[in-house]
Amino acid sequence: MASVETGILITGILLLLGIVSSKFSARLGVPVLVFFLLVGMLAGSEGIGGIEFENYTLAHAIGTLALSLILFDGGLRTPFHTIRSAWKPAGMLATWGVLITAMITGLAAAWFLEFSLAEGLLLGSIVGSTDAAVVFTVLRGGGVNIRRRLAETLEVESGSNDPMAIFLTVGLIQVLSGAVPFGFGLLNLFVSQIAFGALAGVAVGVAGVWMLQQIRLETAGLYPVMATALGFLSFGTAAALGGSGFLAVYLTGIVIGNRRPVFFRGILLFHDAAAWICQILMFIALGLLSFPSRLLDVAPQALAISAVLIFVARPVAVFLCAAPFQFAFRELVFMSWVGLKGAVPITLATFPMLAGLPGAAVIFDTVFFVVLVSALVQGWSLPAVARYLRLVVPARQPPPVTLEISSLRNVEADIVEYFVDDASRAAGCMVKDLALPAGVVVGLIVRAEQIIPPQGRTRIESGDHVIVVLRPQVRPMVDRVFRMGLQIESTNLPTALEFPLRGSITVGEVERFYDLNLNGPPEETLDELMRDRLDKERVELADSVRFEEIELFVREVSETGTIDYVGMVILPAATASPAEDATSDSPAGDGP
Amino acid sequence: MKFSDFVKKGAIRANLQSTTKEAVINELVDSLLESGEIAADQRDDIIAAIMKREELGSTGIGRGVAVPHTKHPSVSELVGTVGVSEAGVDFDSLDGERVQLFFLLISPPERPGDHLRALENISRQLRDESFCRFLKQSKSADDIQQLLQEADDNQFAAG
Repeated sequence: MASVETGILITGILLLLGIVSSKFSARLGVPVLVFFLLVGMLAGSEGIGGIEFENYTLAHAIGTLALSLILFDGGLRTPFHTIRSAWKPAGMLATWGVLITAMITGLAAAWFLEFSLAEGLLLGSIVGSTDAAVVFTVLRGGGVNIRRRLAETLEVESGSNDPMAIFLTVGLIQVLSGAVPFGFGLLNLFVSQIAFGALAGVAVGVAGVWMLQQIRLETAGLYPVMATALGFLSFGTAAALGGSGFLAVYLTGIVIGNRRPVFFRGILLFHDAAAWICQILMFIALGLLSFPSRLLDVAPQALAISAVLIFVARPVAVFLCAAPFQFAFRELVFMSWVGLKGAVPITLATFPMLAGLPGAAVIFDTVFFVVLVSALVQGWSLPAVARYLRLVVPARQPPPVTLEISSLRNVEADIVEYFVDDASRAAGCMVKDLALPAGVVVGLIVRAEQIIPPQGRTRIESGDHVIVVLRPQVRPMVDRVFRMGLQIESTNLPTALEFPLRGSITVGEVERFYDLNLNGPPEETLDELMRDRLDKERVELADSVRFEEIELFVREVSETGTIDYVGMVILPAATASPAEDATSDSPAGDGP
Repeated sequence: MKFSDFVKKGAIRANLQSTTKEAVINELVDSLLESGEIAADQRDDIIAAIMKREELGSTGIGRGVAVPHTKHPSVSELVGTVGVSEAGVDFDSLDGERVQLFFLLISPPERPGDHLRALENISRQLRDESFCRFLKQSKSADDIQQLLQEADDNQFAAG
């Protein structure tokens, strides 16, 4: 083993290479993990770096540590409402879904690799889970904006399905090495993993929030460290009790993140950085561990297994588990495609190595190959698939950024930055005319590169960043003043209720169903009809077209400019034939 | 068009038990069946027609309200019912909120205007926030019936 100094040098170089490679990843749209793995493989014993690294125990340790921090960070950023809306389908996918995926893939693996059934199932279990790190990066960080409930389901699923895969893997290894009999012992193991994991996670989370609030540390830098410590404590406690540490650390993150402890922004920044370091080091270590030449040996079988996993196992699992939860067909197809594999399978693949199972090397190489294929094929094509399935929704308003006061006490004030655009009610208003609640101060207006000290007569313009000091309790009211008027108005203060209709349905269908005349070819879609009538380069939200008896509003626009959803308002009979519309006949039916 | 023109008294349900979209539609259609508004052999076909309409876009119109509706040849006049679910049902609404208040409507194909007018009446009346809130808080079919009557008498949103 090289000296510590050399180790530090190598780590620095590898981290830098990882960071540089993330630039390529953004440009090419390939998930970063592929590049990190490639850096590791190139630096490894068969690559140009020539680093000898075949320490499965160390790789396993790095992987476990990194995963726990990544899951903790993911938990910190998961609001309760996400879980409330998504836990049912996500829970099904995270348990039964993993089991179904593992069984089907396992059968295929046993067949292609001429393994025993148990060995095949072991391989299936190892690749059974969807990777949280990759899904978080793709859905939160980059490019793909999909319907909220769909994104939330996928995030919660990927955050909570590792325990199931880990349990299956550990259980099968114990069965294969003769430690635990098939059957009751296995079930017992599973229940205690879930129960103690959940118990430890929530308990440490609740206690931790209380401690973070009470301790009043003198140094800001210690708060993030304390949060990390709580994460480790949770993981360790769960593991010591025989529960799943990964589930525990994710739950602890969720509990702490939703209580907004002191110096929360610092905590988030710290763990964001920690999660990145972990991702880079973990994937590079796993890349170092692999032997590209051995990967080629298993290529044909691994490709076949990947194909079964991607095109059969995951879709079957998704359709069986999520079908009862009212997802549209194309949403189920998309969920099937987000069966992204990442670090968990490769880390799990070191388990059989450590246990000294006979087929361990082949399992490791195959799993490594399957993860690469999944990350490349599914990860790369994900944005395109989302567009093809017409699931992309317009990116939300850049959320107002909270600049937290770096106070070590819990001060009852927030500094919030709002971005004012055309839809915002504040645009064009003078500061003194804004309907702000008492005790709210507009601190600063940033216009392009200029800083404008606000006075009562200062006019706020579209494109301004307005920095406001407020008490957290009045935040919703201030949000209403600055944020897009449209969305808030349409949900809270409707002028008329709208029936949502998909943009992809045809004029004929709507005409037949409501006995209307939309004056368009019946085979045309509402999307085409609306864009035709609006006749503009790019349709915008809230654009509307008025017909004899109804008015259609643009409600969701895809990235490519097609209309995904329209809102139908039925006009009152009295005004249903507007004067400017000379062609309209008097509407059928009696008035109110 | 008034609520009393199409909402069938005997079919109003103040405490829906269902927890899923499909089940709640079944429950509402069954309420019409039990009060004799629709024929038993048409039940499944009517439910299928309503679900088919839902595929065009959820009739969950936001703010905890859904108006599942369809045309069906087996009815000779507009029939409708109102249901309230205390726990709320995930109805795939665009705003993601659970739906507590349901108006279910079946109209005959040969009276084209009625269908639209009834929907317009519902969406106009529901603009009144207190009407909406009172309906969701109703504990009995009689309460609901009375609120609808008050709405018909123009005590809520101006007609």
